[in-house]
Amino acid sequence: MKILVIEDDKTTGDYVAHGLREEGHTVDLVENGRDGLIRASTSDYDILVIDRMLPDLDGLSIVKTLRGAKNLTPVLFLTSLGGVDDRIDGLNAGADDYLIKPFAFGELSARVAALARRPKLTAQEDTLHAGDLTMDLIRRKVTRGDVEIDLLPREFALLEHLLRRKNRVQTRTMLLEAVWDISFDPQTNVVETHISRLRAKVDKPFDTELIKTVRGAGYRIEAP
Amino acid sequence: MAERAPRRINLLQSTPLRLTVGLISMFALVSLISLGAAYLVIRDSMQQSMRSDLTQEFAGFQAAPTAGAVAALVKAEAAVTRSDRRILSYTAPDGRHYGNGYIALTEDGFRVLSISKDDDLSQLTYLAVSRPLYGGRLTIAISRAQIDNLSDFFIKILLLSVLPTTAIGLTAGLVLARRTARRIRAIGDTLDKMAGGDLGARVPKLSGRRDDLSFIATHVDRMGQAQQSSVAALKQVSADIAHDLKTPIQRVAVMLNQAREMPDLPPQLEDLMHRAGQETEGIVATFQSLLQIAQIEGGSPKSRFAPVDLAVLAATFAEVYEPSAEETGHSLTVHAPADQQFMVTGDKVLLGQVLANLIENALRHTPDGTPIHIRLARDGVAVVLSVADKGPGIPEPERDNVLRRLYRLEQSRTTAGSGLGLSLVSVIADLHEARLTLESNEPGLRVSLRFPPSEGAIP
Repeated sequence: MKILVIEDDKTTGDYVAHGLREEGHTVDLVENGRDGLIRASTSDYDILVIDRMLPDLDGLSIVKTLRGAKNLTPVLFLTSLGGVDDRIDGLNAGADDYLIKPFAFGELSARVAALARRPKLTAQEDTLHAGDLTMDLIRRKVTRGDVEIDLLPREFALLEHLLRRKNRVQTRTMLLEAVWDISFDPQTNVVETHISRLRAKVDKPFDTELIKTVRGAGYRIEAP
Repeated sequence: MAERAPRRINLLQSTPLRLTVGLISMFALVSLISLGAAYLVIRDSMQQSMRSDLTQEFAGFQAAPTAGAVAALVKAEAAVTRSDRRILSYTAPDGRHYGNGYIALTEDGFRVLSISKDDDLSQLTYLAVSRPLYGGRLTIAISRAQIDNLSDFFIKILLLSVLPTTAIGLTAGLVLARRTARRIRAIGDTLDKMAGGDLGARVPKLSGRRDDLSFIATHVDRMGQAQQSSVAALKQVSADIAHDLKTPIQRVAVMLNQAREMPDLPPQLEDLMHRAGQETEGIVATFQSLLQIAQIEGGSPKSRFAPVDLAVLAATFAEVYEPSAEETGHSLTVHAPADQQFMVTGDKVLLGQVLANLIENALRHTPDGTPIHIRLARDGVAVVLSVADKGPGIPEPERDNVLRRLYRLEQSRTTAGSGLGLSLVSVIADLHEARLTLESNEPGLRVSLRFPPSEGAIP
């Protein structure tokens, strides 16, 4: 993917660009708002990563200008502010996702990947598969091989979310947002405990582990 | 908690209408008194002049030399005088009667008994003089019709002047009152909006008006302007601080990450860097909470407020924390009677944070295995949310202190947490006009939030 990063802090900018390049993306890094807007509107990017506070032209104005010109490239906002108002301001301006500083690269990478696939909402499926695991969405049943696995409704939702994004990292905050509709970060590691319960049912009794922990990022179902 | 202002101003309570009614009553009273006085004075002087007319006329008859001459004069005069105006009557010494009406003596004076014609004169009153003359008796009576007409005349004046004035005055007063009420309502609505967090609200301008109300409106606007710019300044300051602090923290996080990526790291160093990373996260969490508290206190808009079902929210958070609670043997239960509604008007994200903070506090500050109860109850129309545990509780004198920022009890210095959880709960409660109480759960701690009735809720 071709990604434009507009970030004025050199350390953070280099780190993000380096990390994304290592993942195989083509990355352009720009350090001020005006140049960023010119780049974003003259070349075709798959994703824009924009810091909210920039010299010359702030992030909100860049996104508003782009959206005003019918440029619909997905935008991930980076921000120092974490208030609910700021989040809503950003999303209202036309940003697609929002990441509060300081962030781990894993979080950024997972969110960039999620944004890139966003428009492709797959057609209604009846079953989801991962390895020998099958999820029947109509009868709401999960089986692994011949064994039926009994899941609570929220465990089912969590597994469904991971299965639908098979082989892609889902961070804790992404899971909290998607499965519980919680948009702040609780201090207790609540997601870990839910994942470990799910693992106890889905992975533990079987030979192969499906739900993998991605260090510094989150979780991913790894399966063909 | 602010007392709710009445939504609408009753027209009868409006100052202009009250003033108009007062002024008109005064005007009507003064008019009545002056008209009445004028009537009495005029009536008196008319009576006076009628009396002197009568005396003069009588003197004219007295000038006649004999009774016969008087009789002839009376006869001649009576022939050309209308009896409803004036009655002349002379009873001659020989008993013969001359004149245009019979007047007889009664106990209280003279009465017209009959008139030569068949006129009905019973409705008319007269002023009469009757004296003996040349052995007979001459009576002259003048109709009081003029005086009676005078009162009719005054009543007409009264009707034509006072009534229209009163009616016009009252109508004008009503119109003014309604217009003023509208303008006062506009000012009131603007103040309500400002109180609700919309600091950009301004009083709608009416063109070309310069009066006391526009003076007040200008001042309301100026106050809003001042508040708006101070909130904007606060926001700018917190944005600047956030940016200036978080950028270096972000760099530290980046460097720590890069260092951990290095090959052949000694395990001790790896462990140190892991802990350094956790510390940075702690700094960020504390900073984030402080920033959020400042933002909410600085006037977070209530525009995002919407109906929130606390029963659903409580169930969600209990479920989110249930596995964590189980790990430490805590039991987490929600009690919310299914036949009752627990809707409040509020910010769902912030209310979720209240629940998360209270549950985390209970998990963190009570021994393993302690039961934690989330309870929803109704107190009249108010909804009460409480999180209670059977842990060590908070000693009474400390209960106010724990709401202070960064304050931590001695015994919890060693446990994780920033000392901001309850401060955040407190400012969020204030924003929702909810009353926050910390009390003993005998034993343990019970934190309750009592929400005011939500607008449009079914009691």
